[in-house]
Amino acid sequence: MKSTDSLRRSYAMTKFVTYFFLILGAIIMVFPFVWMLLTSSKTVPESMQIPPTIIPAQLMLDNFKDAIDSLPFGRLYINTALMVFFRVVCAVLFSSMAGYAFAKLKFRCKNLLFGIVLIQMSLPSQIFIIPQYQMVAKMGLSNTIFALVFPGLVSAFGVFFLRQTYLSIPDEIGEAAYLDGCNQWQTFYKVMFPLTGTSVAALTIFTAVFAYSDLMWPLVVNSDLSMMTLSSGLATLRGQFSTNFPVLMAGSLLAMLPMVVLYLIFQRQFVEGIAGTGGK
Amino acid sequence: MKKFPRLAAAVLMLALLLPLAGCGSADGKTHLTFQIWDVFQRPGMQAVCDAYTAQNPDVVIEVQVTSWGEYWTKLEAAGESNTMPDIFWMHTDQILYYADFGILADLTDLYDETDPNFFQDHYTEVSLGNASGTDGKIYGVPKDKDNVVLVYNKEMFDAAGVSYPDESWTWDDLTDASQRIYDATGKYGYMAYNDEQLGYWNFVYQNGGYILDPETNIHAGYTQTATADAIKYYVNLQKNDWCPDQNYFAETSPGTAFFSEQGAMFFEGSWNLLAELQNYPDMVGKWDIAPLPACPDPESGDGLATISNGLCYATAARGKNLEIVKDVLRFFGSEEGQRIQGESGAAIPAYLGQEDSWSTEFNKFDYVIDVQVCYDQFDHVIQYINNASRRKWKSTVADEMVRVYNGSDIDASLAKMQSIADSYVTAE
Amino acid sequence: MNKKLSAAARREENWGWFMVAPTIIGLVVLNLWPFIQTVYASFCEHLGFGHYQFIGLKNYITMFQNAEFWKATWNTVFFCILTVPVGIILALFVAILLNSKVKFKGGFRTIFFLPLVCAPAAIAMVWRWIFNGEYGILNQLLGAKIQWITDPKTAVLAVAIVSIWSSIGYDAVLLLAGLQNIPKTLYEANSIDGAGKIRQFFTITLPMVSPTLFSVMIMRLMASMKIYDLIYMMAEETNPALTDMQSLMYLFYRSSFVAGERGYGSAIVVWTVALILLVTLIQFWGQKKWVTYDI
Repeated sequence: MKSTDSLRRSYAMTKFVTYFFLILGAIIMVFPFVWMLLTSSKTVPESMQIPPTIIPAQLMLDNFKDAIDSLPFGRLYINTALMVFFRVVCAVLFSSMAGYAFAKLKFRCKNLLFGIVLIQMSLPSQIFIIPQYQMVAKMGLSNTIFALVFPGLVSAFGVFFLRQTYLSIPDEIGEAAYLDGCNQWQTFYKVMFPLTGTSVAALTIFTAVFAYSDLMWPLVVNSDLSMMTLSSGLATLRGQFSTNFPVLMAGSLLAMLPMVVLYLIFQRQFVEGIAGTGGK
Repeated sequence: MKKFPRLAAAVLMLALLLPLAGCGSADGKTHLTFQIWDVFQRPGMQAVCDAYTAQNPDVVIEVQVTSWGEYWTKLEAAGESNTMPDIFWMHTDQILYYADFGILADLTDLYDETDPNFFQDHYTEVSLGNASGTDGKIYGVPKDKDNVVLVYNKEMFDAAGVSYPDESWTWDDLTDASQRIYDATGKYGYMAYNDEQLGYWNFVYQNGGYILDPETNIHAGYTQTATADAIKYYVNLQKNDWCPDQNYFAETSPGTAFFSEQGAMFFEGSWNLLAELQNYPDMVGKWDIAPLPACPDPESGDGLATISNGLCYATAARGKNLEIVKDVLRFFGSEEGQRIQGESGAAIPAYLGQEDSWSTEFNKFDYVIDVQVCYDQFDHVIQYINNASRRKWKSTVADEMVRVYNGSDIDASLAKMQSIADSYVTAE
Repeated sequence: MNKKLSAAARREENWGWFMVAPTIIGLVVLNLWPFIQTVYASFCEHLGFGHYQFIGLKNYITMFQNAEFWKATWNTVFFCILTVPVGIILALFVAILLNSKVKFKGGFRTIFFLPLVCAPAAIAMVWRWIFNGEYGILNQLLGAKIQWITDPKTAVLAVAIVSIWSSIGYDAVLLLAGLQNIPKTLYEANSIDGAGKIRQFFTITLPMVSPTLFSVMIMRLMASMKIYDLIYMMAEETNPALTDMQSLMYLFYRSSFVAGERGYGSAIVVWTVALILLVTLIQFWGQKKWVTYDI
C-alpha cells in the first residue's frame, strides 16, 4: 500500500508529464501557422535574413494585395463551396442507397458488386485523371462546376462506411416496417435512413474535407482561374511566384481562412464527425 | 415517401443544369477557345483577340490560362479525344510530337492567297524552324522569339567598384567580377544554376560545341570535346564560394535570390523581364541587363551564342471551326497582330521589323532597362535544341545532369547522356 | 405461398439492383474501366495520343531491371515505415494524453486536428519554407545546416514528418473515440488488483482499442502507399534529391505525364496496386493475432 502522500506526488507527476507533452505537441502543431502569418508580412529580403527576424519590421499587407491581384479569391471560395456541396449531396444520397442495399437486401451478384467497391478503395486516384478528363471533355462540360464535382459523384468509401452502419441496425426494425406495409424504398427512406444521422454527418464532413483538399483534378479539368478551387488556385500561385515565400504564405492564409473559421465555429461537430468514420 | 425522391430529383437536376449556366452560345456567334499557359501574357493575348473581334464581330474568343504542367497533360488528352481548344500555344519541346502525329493543322499555305512567301519574308529561319514539324511543313504561326540575357545588380557592382557588364565581356570577366563582388559585399556573384536553355546550352554553343549535331540534328554531342569542356566549366562554377550550390537553387529560385538581393548576376529569358519589373517594384532601377558573356577561347566560332526559342499559335487538324480559326491565325501572324502583342509587353514579336514594339511597356517604368540588348543578340542566336526523339530522352538526360551536380563522375555521366540520346537514333 | 415468397424475393432483388445501380454504374465508368484500361496499357507501348501497341511483358521486364524503380519502391516502403508505425504510435500517445483528465481538452483537440482542414498545398508550402536549407527557421533553431529537402538522405524523412504532422490529429481523434468506448469499470476492477499504469495499458487499453487501431492502420497504410501530392508540392524538378525521394506514384506521374511513356507508367501502377493488395491482405490475416473484437 502506497502512502497518500506518495500517491499525490505520483499523481502530480503524471499531471505534469501530461501537460508537458500536450503543450509541446500543441506548439509543434501551431508553429507552422504562426510562421506562415509572420512570413506573410515580411518583404522577400527580410524573409531571407540570417539570422532571421522573428517579428516582421512592419505590418505589411502588400503580399496579401499581390495574392489577391493574382487569384480571384471570391470566385475560388464560391467554386469550392459549390463543389463541396454537390459532392457531399451525391456521396450521401448514393452511398446511403447502396449501403442500405448491400447491408439489408438479398440480390444476385451482391458480393461481386461489393468487390468493385472494395477494389476502388485501393486504386490510386491519379490514374483516373486522364480518362475522366476525356469523359468530361467529350460531354463538352469542362470549365464548369459539374466538372469539379464529376469524380465525386459516387463514393466507394461512403458505401463501405454506411454499409457498416446499416449492418449495425437490427434486422427486426426493417421487418417490422415491412409488416406494416412499407415497401423496400419506404423502409429505407422512412425507417432506416433517419437512424443513420450520426454516420451521415460523419460522411458529410469526411467528404467535405477531402473534396476541399483535392488538388490535381480541378487543375486539369478546368482551364481557367475563375473556375478553380482554393487548393488548386494555390498551386497556380506557386507557379507564378515560384519561391517568393511571403506572397505564397499570404495566399495560403487567404485560402485556408474560410475552412478554418468554419472549423473553429463547428469544431465539436467536425471532430466528432470524423471520430465516427473510424468504424469498428 | 414522396418528399425524399422529389428532393433528390431536384438536387440532381440542379447538378446537371449547372454546367449549362457556363455556356450561353445562343447568340449566333462563333465561340472560340484560346488556351495559353502564362498568366502574365493573358492581357496581351486578350488585346490581340479584341483587335480581331472588333473587325469580326460574329466571332467571340475566350482566353483560358492553365499552368504549364497541367497544360500538356490536358492538351494531349484533348488531342486523343478530339476536344482540343480552337487555338493554343505550342512549345518547341512538344511541337514535333504533335505535328508528326498529325494532330496539328498544316498551316504552310495559310497566306497563299495573298502572299505565298509571307512566312519566309516576315519571319526568320529560326522562328520558322521552331514552328515546323520534322517534315519541314509549318504547323504553327510564329508568335514570339526570345533569347537569354545576363541580369545584373547595379548596386552590387558599384559597391565592389566593378564596371557594368557589356558586349566586351567574356567568361573570365564574369568570374572575375563575381569574385570581387563576393569579396566586397559578401553577396553571391554569378548564380549558375542547373538549366538547359538558361544555363549550360549557351556555354556549349559559345565554346563551339553542340548538343545535337547541326548538320543532321540527329546525333548528340555530349562527349564531343568542346561540348564536354563547356559543360564541365559551367558545372564547376558552383564550386566557387561566390556561387550557391544546386541545393540552394532547388529551394530558392535564382530569380527570387536575385530580386531579394542575395546575388549579383544570373541568366534570364527575355520573356520573364517584364513580369520581374512588375513583381518587384522596389527593385526597379537597381538592376539592368547585358549581353551574355562570350567564350574567350572557343574551339571554333567567335565565342558568341544565345539560345533562342519561340512559341507559336497552333490549331487542331480535326478542329470544328478550322476555316474561321485559320482566319484568326492569319490575323495573329499579321503585322498588326504581332504589333499589338508586342506593345502589350507579352513577348518580342517574331515578325521581322516589329521587334521594338516590345519596348512600349518597358518605357513606362521610371528606370528603363536596356532592352536593345535583346534585339541585338538576335544576330547570333542558336535555335532551341530539339528533334523528334528528344521528348523521350529529355528527362533521362536531365536526371543524369542532376547526378553530375550531386558529384558523380562528369565524364562517365556525359558518356551516359550521349548513349541515352543516341539510343533513339538507331531506334528511329 | 411459395410463389408469393418468390415474388417478394424478386421485388427485393429489383430494389437491391435499383439502389446500388447509381453507385455501381458510377464506379465502373469512373474507376473500374479506367483501371482495366491501365492494366491493358501496361502490356503495351504508348505510341502517342492514346494509340497503343501490344508488347507483352516488356514494360515489366524493363521495370524490374530499372534501379530507379526499385529505389522508388523502397522509398514508398520506407515512407510507410515512417508514417504508419511511427505516426500511429505518436497518435496513440496523443489520444491517451487527451483521454486523461486535463483542462482545455477541447482546445488541444482542436489544435491537433487543425492541419486536416487546411489545404495540403498550403501545408506543403509552409513546410518547404521551414525546411529551407539556407533561410529556413528549422535550421536556424537547430543551429544546423541540414539540406532537409534536397539531401537524398533526409528528403523522404522530411516528407514523412510533414505527413505525420498533418495526419496525427485525425488519427488521434479516431483513437480517442476508441479509447472513450472502453468501459471505466474495466479499469476500476483492474486498479483494485493494484496493476500499474503500464500494465493497465497493455492488458486493457491496447486490446480494447485494437479494432480502432486496426482500421486507422489500414487507412493510413493505403494512403501512404499512394503518396504523391505531398512530394509533388514539396519538390521541384530541379531538386537534386528528386530521384532519391520519389515514390512509386510520383515515378508513375513522371513516366506517364512528363515523359509520355504511358505503358511503362501503367506497369508501375499495376505493381503499386498489387503491393497495396498484398499489404492489406497481410494486415487482415495478421489482425487475428492481435486485434481483439471481444473481451
